[in-house]
Amino acid sequence: MSAGDTWRLRPGQAVRYRHWDEECVLYNDLSGDTHLLGDAALELLLTLQHGPTTEAMLAAVLKAQFDIADDELAAETAALLQHMNHLYLIETLAC
Amino acid sequence: MLTVASLTRSQLQTRLAGHGLAVRTGPFTSLIRSPIAYIADGIALLYGDYPLEDAQGFADFHVHLRRSGGVRRWYRPQVHFDVDGLVPFEPLPEAHAFPMLEWALNWCISTRAHAFLMIHAAVVERNGLAVMLPAPPGSGKSTLCAALVSRGWRLLSDELALFRPHDGALVPVPRPVSLKNRSIEVIRDFAPDAVLSQPVSNTTKGTVAHLKAPSASVARAHETTRAAWIVFPKYEAGAATELTPIARARAFLRVADNAFNYSQLGALGFDTLAGIIEQCDSYDFRYSDLDQAMEAFAALEPPR
Repeated sequence: MSAGDTWRLRPGQAVRYRHWDEECVLYNDLSGDTHLLGDAALELLLTLQHGPTTEAMLAAVLKAQFDIADDELAAETAALLQHMNHLYLIETLAC
Repeated sequence: MLTVASLTRSQLQTRLAGHGLAVRTGPFTSLIRSPIAYIADGIALLYGDYPLEDAQGFADFHVHLRRSGGVRRWYRPQVHFDVDGLVPFEPLPEAHAFPMLEWALNWCISTRAHAFLMIHAAVVERNGLAVMLPAPPGSGKSTLCAALVSRGWRLLSDELALFRPHDGALVPVPRPVSLKNRSIEVIRDFAPDAVLSQPVSNTTKGTVAHLKAPSASVARAHETTRAAWIVFPKYEAGAATELTPIARARAFLRVADNAFNYSQLGALGFDTLAGIIEQCDSYDFRYSDLDQAMEAFAALEPPR
C-alpha cells in the first residue's frame, strides 16, 4: 500500500453505525460483526461513502478534522486504513 | 380466565400425564407433558397464577419429560426431555426433573423465539421504567433479581430479556427465579415470606431452588414496558456498593455479548440494540449487601 492508493468501501457495506461520546459501533454487513471504532475511523468511512478516495486525500480529511502532527499523519492514516481493510470494511483499488 | 390453581392436584397430575397441561407464560404457551410427580409438585407450587390454555389448541412449545424405560427406572430413575422429537439434553436423575423443566423452557425460548432480540438478562420494572441486568452465571444476577421483586419491583424475567424489534418494547415472560447454592439461603433470609421450591442438590449447577414469581407480575404479563437502565451486576464478598457509568458504545458490545440471537438477527439486531442503548443509562454495579443494593436501585435517576 502507498499514499497513492485509492480506497473504497467494500461493495455491500452500508456504513450502518451509531455514534456516542467519541466512539461508534458499526455493523459490518459483510461479516455480520459489530466493531467499536473511534471518530477518525468513522470519518474515513463516511468520506468513502461518497466514493473512492486516494490515501493522500483521506489523510487530508483527517488533518482537517483531528489534531494529528504532520510527521505522524501518513502513518496514522495508513494504520487506520489497514485496520479497516482487515475488518473487511474497505479495500484498495490498487493492483 | 382459568389458572393452574383452579385444578385439583389430581386433575393437574392427570392432565400432565395425559394430553398435557397448556400453560401461558407471557407471549408463549407451553404444552407440558410428564408423569413425574416432581413436575406436578413444582407446577402446583410455582405456577398456580398462570393462565391455562386449551391443551388441544396451539402451543409454541411441546415439552415432554419422561422417565427412563427398562430396568433402569427401578434402580436409578432418570428424566429425559424432548421437544418436537429433539432431545437436546442428557438425561438427569429423576429428582432433578423440575429444574430440568425450567431449563427446558428457557432452552425452548432461547433457541426459537427469534421474533425477539433475546438477551441473557434479568429484567425488573418499577413506575414504568425497566432495568435490565445482563450477566453471565455467577454474577449474582438472579439473587439481585429475586431481592428486587421481593421489594416491589415487577418481574419481567429472570433469564431472558425479550425486546420487540419494531418498537424496542420489553415483553415480559415472568417465570420462577432460579436460585443457586448460597443464594437460596440469602433470599430465604432477605425475604422470609417468599415461596421457594424444595432445593434440589447435585445438579450441574449445584443446589438449585426456584422462587415463585409474584402474583402481580404474572397478572401483568401482557403489559410491555421500556428499558431505562442497563446494569451489569457483580457480586463480590465485602465489596462496597458502587455504580459506575459505562459509555454507550462499550455497553452496546457488552449487551451484544450477552445476547442469544444478536448475530442471527443481523442488521435488525444492530438497530434494535442501538435503540435500546440510546434510551438507557448503563452501569457496572458491584455489591455485597442486598439492602444497600436495594437503595441504589431505588435511587436510579431516569435517563435524560
